[in-house]
Amino acid sequence: MSKRRMSASTPSRLSFPSVDVSRRGFLSGAAVLGGVSLLAACGGSDSGSSSSINTSNVDPQAANGLTAIFGPGGKTGGSEVTLSAGMLLAMTGQGSFFGKVMSQGAQLAAAQIKAADGITYDVHVADHKSGDVPTAIAATRQLITQEKIKILQTSYGAPSEAIVPQIAQSKLLSFNGGGSSPGQVGKDFLWQTRMIFGDDPCPGALAWVAKQFPDATKLAIVGTQENGVAGASTIGPAAWKALTGGTVVANEQHDVGATDFSSIVARIKSTSPDAILTFSFGDDVGYLVKQMREANVTVPIIGIEFTEQAAKVAGASYDTYNFATDFYDPANPNPWNKIFVKGYQDSYGEAPEYYGANYYEEVFFVWELVRRVLAAGGDATDTTQLQNSLVENPTFKSLYGGDAKSTGEVTFNPADHTISKPMGVFSVTNGQPKKIADIVKISADADPTTALVS
Amino acid sequence: MDLNLFAQLTVSGIVVGSTYALLGVSFGVIYATTRIFHLAHAVAYAGAAYGAVWASEALGLPFGLALLFGLATGVVLGVLIEIVFYRPMRKRNATLLTIFLVSLGISVAFPNLLQIVFGPDNKTLPRPDNPTYELGSVTISRQDVIAVLVAWALIAAVATFIVKTRFGRSVTAMRTNPTMAEAVGIDGNRVYTVVFVIGSFLIAVAGLLFTTRGVATPTMGLQPTLTGFIAAFLGGIGSQWGAALGGLALGLLSSWSALYLQVDYGPVVVFGAMFLVLLIRPQGLLGKAAA
Repeated sequence: MSKRRMSASTPSRLSFPSVDVSRRGFLSGAAVLGGVSLLAACGGSDSGSSSSINTSNVDPQAANGLTAIFGPGGKTGGSEVTLSAGMLLAMTGQGSFFGKVMSQGAQLAAAQIKAADGITYDVHVADHKSGDVPTAIAATRQLITQEKIKILQTSYGAPSEAIVPQIAQSKLLSFNGGGSSPGQVGKDFLWQTRMIFGDDPCPGALAWVAKQFPDATKLAIVGTQENGVAGASTIGPAAWKALTGGTVVANEQHDVGATDFSSIVARIKSTSPDAILTFSFGDDVGYLVKQMREANVTVPIIGIEFTEQAAKVAGASYDTYNFATDFYDPANPNPWNKIFVKGYQDSYGEAPEYYGANYYEEVFFVWELVRRVLAAGGDATDTTQLQNSLVENPTFKSLYGGDAKSTGEVTFNPADHTISKPMGVFSVTNGQPKKIADIVKISADADPTTALVS
Repeated sequence: MDLNLFAQLTVSGIVVGSTYALLGVSFGVIYATTRIFHLAHAVAYAGAAYGAVWASEALGLPFGLALLFGLATGVVLGVLIEIVFYRPMRKRNATLLTIFLVSLGISVAFPNLLQIVFGPDNKTLPRPDNPTYELGSVTISRQDVIAVLVAWALIAAVATFIVKTRFGRSVTAMRTNPTMAEAVGIDGNRVYTVVFVIGSFLIAVAGLLFTTRGVATPTMGLQPTLTGFIAAFLGGIGSQWGAALGGLALGLLSSWSALYLQVDYGPVVVFGAMFLVLLIRPQGLLGKAAA
């Protein structure tokens, strides 16, 4: 008797075309899968969760300090306004560190603003599983339909580009402080709160290399197809030629999340470059730098990102790494920054970093827009009015820049929805970055030497 | 052809391929004997890494003892999966598909469990000194050399154990005809437990070799498991040396492809070659054709 016939004649077995599964076994499997799925959900997407910081835990001095900086709370400060806000982040997968710090930043901001008698910013975190596009689209749909969000803080390049139609259709006032890419530029309701990843700091980075290493003429480039694509293919090579008269001797691509760079190291080493420019990001940079140094490649390596996670990967070799970006400095004495740093450390027991700062700052942009719309007698829950207010006055207070007496400032470009922030070139000592030069964004036809300010 | 580049890529390929070989034998020894597509093998890889990190950070154990603790953690987790999940399911006549679904579920849930317990931050072990050696134009680090030696020593030990020992022959018997093997008195559960010990031990070693050079992350286990699966099938199921050869071939092919192609085309070359090999020899490089 064939197995299939046995299945058909035995009521306790479920029959499939090519396999047969005992009902008991199937139910056992389903039960285990259900359990593990629940566990997976616990570690991953938690769309629907609200701010995890109790407002009563916010230091009253912080609330007073914010009032001094941003103005009083109360009705004019939006105390009667509630905004449902979504965050589309990498809560699981390889980039889960980013999701953690980004959500922490926004949740701290929501709690501090509430404590300052400002708006109620109701945070709902959704997971795009470290860049999975279909997941991002589904999670955004869920945030729109179930959580009725009006504000969205998104991250990564590909997922954010994929949800551009949803953002426009639902008029979600959206900010991306984690993975700005050319495909998101100029999109309605979507605003970038970091410089275009890799592309904007690239000329300044190369100008610094050319100045520090005047004999360097051969440049090797390493990047991915995810971020900094234009920097690697056009901006970098053109700037290098203009700066040094030299050439790009290698232009290597790798998959995002790579840990083995041995082939890239071998190929680059064989071209004997004088300097290496990398657009890699996340842990990848750490593995790249470490393996370059282990292969006795001693030429300067300059990148466009720093994370402490990558520094852990690279270990001591990261002290030979430089990077150029709109980097956040926790030691900045700017009074708002001091409130942020203290609040972050008190709430999470760790120092804030770049991404936490960006997503914290974005919530304050929203608060400021609400104040402006209310002052003009408008409806602060209407995202069109909020965006119009942003276009009318695109300058906001910032954690970046400033000094001990005043906050810094950042300005959006209403034409393409990008932002201008202070940028710098940084060295790394004992795993910690230190700014060593100032750089600025330049236009495509400008002399790249002008990108290096000091 | 740039001979210096070829030499460096060959050495890099051997280094990477040796780890792939270890993963291949690790996956293959379990699959060949139990026919379970053990995707939850990733648990032993990541579990070993996190076990070592925890032993180093929380217990303050010295580097060597922390590695041993991690190794034990990986093996225990691997065996627990067999005893707690797979064995009861086999007793209830669950099909391999059902068991695979459970294995898939475990492989998805475990990284989340790690993230809940340890957080998403990268975890590191103390870094031993890693000097590099120059052989002409070729550079190789001490850890590269150690990884190659450890991998092939373990592969040889497992292959010898399977072929030369009485218990190893029981494993072979269970692989070729489990019903007959149990009829002549071989304890199937015991054999399965032992192959899970061996497989989990090997992948735990691979996990520790990786972590001593990089970091432990919750999701670190899945990719090596899939690499092990590809190596085992490329080399031939049921043959330890075949799986090892499959892994080495994967490493060398992906490395050599960089001679003429951008590195991100490496996987295309590797999978293309695997497709061709399996088209011509469905049983894999050293596998025996079905009668």
